[in-house]
Amino acid sequence: MELIVLAMKDILRRKGKSLYLLIAIVIPVAILSTILLTFDNADSSLSDLASKFGFTLIVQPKNVRVDRINQIGVNTQEYIPEGVIGEIEKIIREVIRNPKEKVITVVRLYKEGNVLAGKSEVNSVVAGIDFKTELEAKPSWTITSGRWPMGDREAVLGGTYASTQRVSVSDTVTIGDSAFTVVGILQNYNSAEDYMVFAPFAEVQKLFDKAGVVSVINIQSASLDKDKKLLQAAVEDINKNVPNIMALSPQQFSTMKYTLLKKTLKFLVAIVAATIAVSIFSIFNIVTSVLYSRVKEIGLLKSVGASRSQLLIIFLSEYLTIGLIGGMIGYPLGLLMTYLLDSFLLKLGAGIRVNLFYVPVALLVGIFCSFIASFYPTYRLSRIKITESFRTQWEG
Amino acid sequence: MGGMIMDKNNSTPFLELREVKKTFSLASGQVTALEHISLTIEKGELVALVGPSGSGKTTLLNIIGSLDRPSKGEVILEGIRIDILSEEDLVHFRREKFSFIFQDAKPLRMLNVLENTLLPFNFFKPKNRNGNIKDEGIEIIKSLGLGHRIYHMPSQLSGGEIQRVAIARALITHPAMILADEPTANLDRDNRLFVIDTFRKLSKEKDIAVVFSTHDLEVANRADRIVHLKDGVFLKDEIISCNPCQV
Repeated sequence: MELIVLAMKDILRRKGKSLYLLIAIVIPVAILSTILLTFDNADSSLSDLASKFGFTLIVQPKNVRVDRINQIGVNTQEYIPEGVIGEIEKIIREVIRNPKEKVITVVRLYKEGNVLAGKSEVNSVVAGIDFKTELEAKPSWTITSGRWPMGDREAVLGGTYASTQRVSVSDTVTIGDSAFTVVGILQNYNSAEDYMVFAPFAEVQKLFDKAGVVSVINIQSASLDKDKKLLQAAVEDINKNVPNIMALSPQQFSTMKYTLLKKTLKFLVAIVAATIAVSIFSIFNIVTSVLYSRVKEIGLLKSVGASRSQLLIIFLSEYLTIGLIGGMIGYPLGLLMTYLLDSFLLKLGAGIRVNLFYVPVALLVGIFCSFIASFYPTYRLSRIKITESFRTQWEG
Repeated sequence: MGGMIMDKNNSTPFLELREVKKTFSLASGQVTALEHISLTIEKGELVALVGPSGSGKTTLLNIIGSLDRPSKGEVILEGIRIDILSEEDLVHFRREKFSFIFQDAKPLRMLNVLENTLLPFNFFKPKNRNGNIKDEGIEIIKSLGLGHRIYHMPSQLSGGEIQRVAIARALITHPAMILADEPTANLDRDNRLFVIDTFRKLSKEKDIAVVFSTHDLEVANRADRIVHLKDGVFLKDEIISCNPCQV
């Protein structure tokens, strides 16, 4: 116990050097935590999103980058002619071969424009939707206050949009020249919809002069939900027979994103390995330099009766403690980096899910880096003879 | 040239060196640091090793204190040949028998005066002690005139006070022998004389053998014996009859 106390006092005395060591450990731990958390979040959130999405099949304009499942067709100037809707429904009917089954087709038109909401005009995504069919396909879609629109000049706002613009039920939002009464506020789903203005489909088409086109077609079919082979056949037939569109299933969407993510992660794992190697090298150099500056101190400790093993305990305790603290700081930093990476780069829409299993992993990596880098110099210096230690020119 | 053998009670001497030789291998070849050194030291003796730089004073101190092994010859302490003990045995042996005071060994900066004094007991338990070790440490510190510095950090001490802390640390283990390498080198006259008079008092009152190296004849003359070295061999082993002598 006395030896550990000595070690802790020494950490406090050498604050500057201890801080360097800490930084050298925190960086790889934070990067590793980021990658583990990102992988974990993506893994769970992609399948979660796909299952929550509520549609069997999505049709979007061809050659448009697939980004977020709830945002397909939002950030694009590409549209699908309404005329293909019948064609797509016909193909699905042929695949499922059950004329009695109800197939729900939900279309959306997204357009970005200035909306006067509350006291300020703000650039917003306006979604033109048919509320009746949307609710039929997604009965879990909920409004937290107000009601669903019944008239042409009524709108519903995403939860975040309403709160940031300080707009509530009965207020008015003006899209272009047309005023819409806000009749309901949507529940937040942690998706792009939280930031949208929802207005009747036909009105949005007129407002933005987009008659005859849609941004995305979502289809719901129980048979296709149950049978993956049928779903695959429907997707292939649509892509083969309908020009300038791309059909995909939410599951395919997940798989696509997951494959992309896995490729990214392989690259990131390589970065982590390199960072850990650089970190170990840095720690090794710092520890060696610190220990050489303490040669006389080592001689003194030996002369008052310290054995080699006791010196190893003192010095390794110091470095392992710094490794442990590095792990403790690295994990929350990794959480922050995961959030920033997701918000600005990967845009998985996963948010932050704190996985406590990675806490001991981060601590162990911190300790591991510290141990690997400090053991050899510590072991070597613990062997120095008292007589040699006082002959050295190094100054502590 | 052989050293004088003191055989106080016609029994085994406390420490005996027999025909000790020490060579070092350097890139330029072998260098002989000590040759034909035979010497006995008894408990309660205060011995000064004197000689110019490179005469072998520090090497001799290291061999006496088992910090280094002779290339040839024998080192016998209380009848035990310590030059052939294993490193592990030597650690235990040194803990029990020796205390060292080095010219360069500053106290640990993160510990206060009392903690530095009690430093050895971080590594082994004190044996045969009735009283409280902390109280004993405080008593020793006070006896060395550092009563007002007990909880001060080394950065707050003067050079003379730092050397007194080293003496306090050497005394706390109740050693049979204190070995001090140039203990007065960086001190002013008052502090030099204080250190050496403390050694003298300890050797007489506590029956501790004290061996120290010095360049300073005024300091050396306060010892019981002066062993003169030059180029690794004995020049003279001088018994001082007047203590302290006028220089």
